[in-house]
Amino acid sequence: MTIHLGDFEQLVLLALLRLDDEAYGVAVHAEIARRTGRRMSFGTVYATLTRLEEKGLITSRLGEPTAARGGRRKKYFSILVPGRRALERSLRSVKRMAQGIDVSWEAS
Amino acid sequence: MTTRPPRLATFLVQLALPTTVTEALLGDLHQEYATMVARDGVRRAGRWYWREAFRATVSFSRFREPDAPGPVAQGVGANWNAFADVRYAIRSLIKRPGFTAIATITLALGIGATTAIFSAVNPILFEPLPYPHPDRVTMIWEQGGDGQKTNVGFATYADLNERNRTFTSMAAVGGWNPTLTERGAPELLTGQRVSQSYFRVLGVAPAIGRDFRTEEDVVGVARVVVLSNDFWRTRFNADSSIVGRTITLNGNSITVIGVMPAGFQNVLNPQAQIWTPLRYGPSLPYACRSCRHLRVVGRMREGIGPEAARRDLEAVQRAIVAEHPGDYSGPGILTIALKDDLTSGVRPALLAVLGAVALVLLVACANVINLLLGRGAQRRGEFAVRAALGAGRARLIRQVLTESIVLSLIGGVGGTLIAIVGTRLLFALSPANLPRHEAIQPSATLLLFSFGLTLVVGLVAGVIPALHATRTDLGDGIKLAGRRSAGGTRFTRGGLVVAEVALALILLTGCGLMLRSVTRLLAVSPGFKPDHLLTMQLQATSKRFTNDTVTRAYFDAALDAVRAVPGVESAGVTSQLPLSGDFDAYGIHTEVPLSTNPADDLSAFRYAVSPGYLESMGIALRRGRTLLPSDRLGAPSVAIVNASFGRKFFPGLDPMGKRFHVGDTTGPWYTVVGVVDDVKQGSLASPQADGVYLPESQWIFADGSMSLVVRTKGDPETMVDAVRNAVWSVDRDEPIVRVATMNQLLENTAAERRFVMLLFEGFAIVALVLAAAGIYGVLSSNVTDRLREIGVRSALGASRRNILGLVIREGLGLTLLGIAVGLAGAAAASQAIASLLFGLSRLDLMTYTGVAVVLLAVSGLACSLPAWRAARVDPAITLRAD
Repeated sequence: MTIHLGDFEQLVLLALLRLDDEAYGVAVHAEIARRTGRRMSFGTVYATLTRLEEKGLITSRLGEPTAARGGRRKKYFSILVPGRRALERSLRSVKRMAQGIDVSWEAS
Repeated sequence: MTTRPPRLATFLVQLALPTTVTEALLGDLHQEYATMVARDGVRRAGRWYWREAFRATVSFSRFREPDAPGPVAQGVGANWNAFADVRYAIRSLIKRPGFTAIATITLALGIGATTAIFSAVNPILFEPLPYPHPDRVTMIWEQGGDGQKTNVGFATYADLNERNRTFTSMAAVGGWNPTLTERGAPELLTGQRVSQSYFRVLGVAPAIGRDFRTEEDVVGVARVVVLSNDFWRTRFNADSSIVGRTITLNGNSITVIGVMPAGFQNVLNPQAQIWTPLRYGPSLPYACRSCRHLRVVGRMREGIGPEAARRDLEAVQRAIVAEHPGDYSGPGILTIALKDDLTSGVRPALLAVLGAVALVLLVACANVINLLLGRGAQRRGEFAVRAALGAGRARLIRQVLTESIVLSLIGGVGGTLIAIVGTRLLFALSPANLPRHEAIQPSATLLLFSFGLTLVVGLVAGVIPALHATRTDLGDGIKLAGRRSAGGTRFTRGGLVVAEVALALILLTGCGLMLRSVTRLLAVSPGFKPDHLLTMQLQATSKRFTNDTVTRAYFDAALDAVRAVPGVESAGVTSQLPLSGDFDAYGIHTEVPLSTNPADDLSAFRYAVSPGYLESMGIALRRGRTLLPSDRLGAPSVAIVNASFGRKFFPGLDPMGKRFHVGDTTGPWYTVVGVVDDVKQGSLASPQADGVYLPESQWIFADGSMSLVVRTKGDPETMVDAVRNAVWSVDRDEPIVRVATMNQLLENTAAERRFVMLLFEGFAIVALVLAAAGIYGVLSSNVTDRLREIGVRSALGASRRNILGLVIREGLGLTLLGIAVGLAGAAAASQAIASLLFGLSRLDLMTYTGVAVVLLAVSGLACSLPAWRAARVDPAITLRAD
């Protein structure tokens, strides 16, 4: 079964790859915001993360509780092999669709 | 440092989001919040946090729609997303505005009406009196020869108080109406003369100052008074230095010793503004054993039951009667719990009203069940599809429950508004003589109760169709998905309509019976001509009235002054006025005794009247002559009796010329010189009519208060000031009270019945509307269910008339069944209001027929809409839709 990724799902998966071991909510949110300039709520980020986890594309583990978080634990996410495949496939389709058209990949 | 984000927002997130996410998300939000507080301040950070919390709930509800198929939509457990359920419920309610409006209005009416009525009735029937250990406070009455309770003479009270062993204290209570002459017009006060122990019997102490002392309740000592809180506030501006000061009452300086607390409810006379010690002694002429004019209230000792107290007092009373046999007709003593004593008069009416409310609530419940069942049947297809896509049974039931709760909440808000407005309205409409009238206020407990009840009804009624739908074979359900199902609920719904019609009929019957009673009551002739009559009570209270001559001179002069006012046709005075609440009866002892013991002689109303009274009232003279100015003191004592007096005391004889004593057997013989028509004294409904009119100048004492009756040429209300000023031109210091036209008094006597009738009317209309809505709802969904059948029928040649008949037959069939059940129910239930009826049987044929016809007409109207729709079905369209 092929899984198609939405636009925002791609961004989240890419953020996980970039952040590696440090991918938890705040970091993912900040990474996407910083690199794309998109404004989004934490709820959106978590809704997407939960959906990706339920599709079996990513996994999560809990960290230690800290005072700065009101005694709550961080949840770290990392990409799984199916997730990596789905992302690659998705990005490839975008690339193929864009080939030969006057779209600059290296935009400002 | 305030780094803690808004708690409510956190709670919202916890409520709405799956637990697997909340910890991490809230941790992130907390962390960011701390950063934002440092950078932008608490305010902006707080706003941001709220925004994030709200968006999180929205993203998750969009992400996980409750009817989303697949593995997500399964169990109840950790993934319950209440917020999304509520959103879905609201959306589906909005989709069907008709259903939602009818259901919420039904619920609101049910909850609101029930609560309003309960709130009005609760303090009267159920709530304990506002005193410590209220169950120990009891009224004590002597028992008259007819077994009825009668007032107690002071000597009897003193003996009971001294000799009993079961009461901590007892108090005798009498009326008192002093005139306050301080600052401005003389003001007649409502007060009570009480034994010094009165407030201790009730268990309430003055808030300021002190209670009465034993040495202040003795003959001849200086009078002291305690004020009610309200009176102290309005008349003395809550001046706390009033205690110890003197005020002028009836021209005497009286010391104020205390003020009662604001919350004190004086149930024995809620209007009382002032209290003073009784100051009776056995030597006083009006303290005798047969001078029965006091009420006695007592507080039982701890651990003493009402039965033990009654036995104790009966033993004491037997001893008293043995010592003074001539003063008592029997040894009876009655003890009645204070609360029961106060409310016994209105209890039947209020219980009937309560029963009516219960019926309305039942109709409302039946209607809501009906609506939800109908809706459930319509949604069977939807449920089946969702179940087939993997939604568990629990999941579906949860959705239905959420919808019911949302519905009940909306209904509850409406109901609360109706309850608050309704209670105010009831308070305004209730007769002022309703006991504990002042304690009527919306009751939160009962609001919760009726709210809870409708919630349960909604839940049960909502779950049944869901269970039903999920139990059936999925294939069947899906086949029906496009259409509506005509499932087994149709039978249930038909039954509910029958029940609704029956309940509405019971209510309508009650209302009809009350309506006809009031109409008949007001059609009863009072025995005089009430139009163009102005009445008011004149009182001779000031110190100058030292003897009867002065008092009589005052009333004579006042009468002359009034007769001289332009627009006055005639005027007279009487010691007691019909329909005003006056009650003054004396034993009649005829020359040829009717019984061996004079104490057993029957009594009659005694009217001490001036010449001109009978003429002004318009009481018709049947025989002999009326009273003349020449019937004065010294002339032969004469009397005019009414027809029923003649029949009772001179059975089979002509009363003219007969002689009798009134009250005292040693007094003068009164000779009958005329016979007049009967007059209603107590109320229009009262059968008691025996009355005797005596010239007031020939009566053994001068009454201190007389009612003035003025027949006017024009509208009596416009004459009030002129007549009052005429009286005051004689003596400016005497109070004038109870100003009313005779027609107002007449209206008042029907006030209680009218109030009950009004309530029944309201309920009956609500029930009628609900029943009609029920019939309409069932028929219209039946028509929708059977569109195809109807289409086939008309394709096969059924005429419009056939189709119309098909639907109307079904509706009227249900109605007729309901009417049959309801008639039987009404015949049984009418027993509850039998005591409130006047002049007709509780099985009055006319009422029952009329009500059945009204119900049939309304249900015919409710049938006609769906029938019309069915008749206009185009077979081509319905059949093509397959």
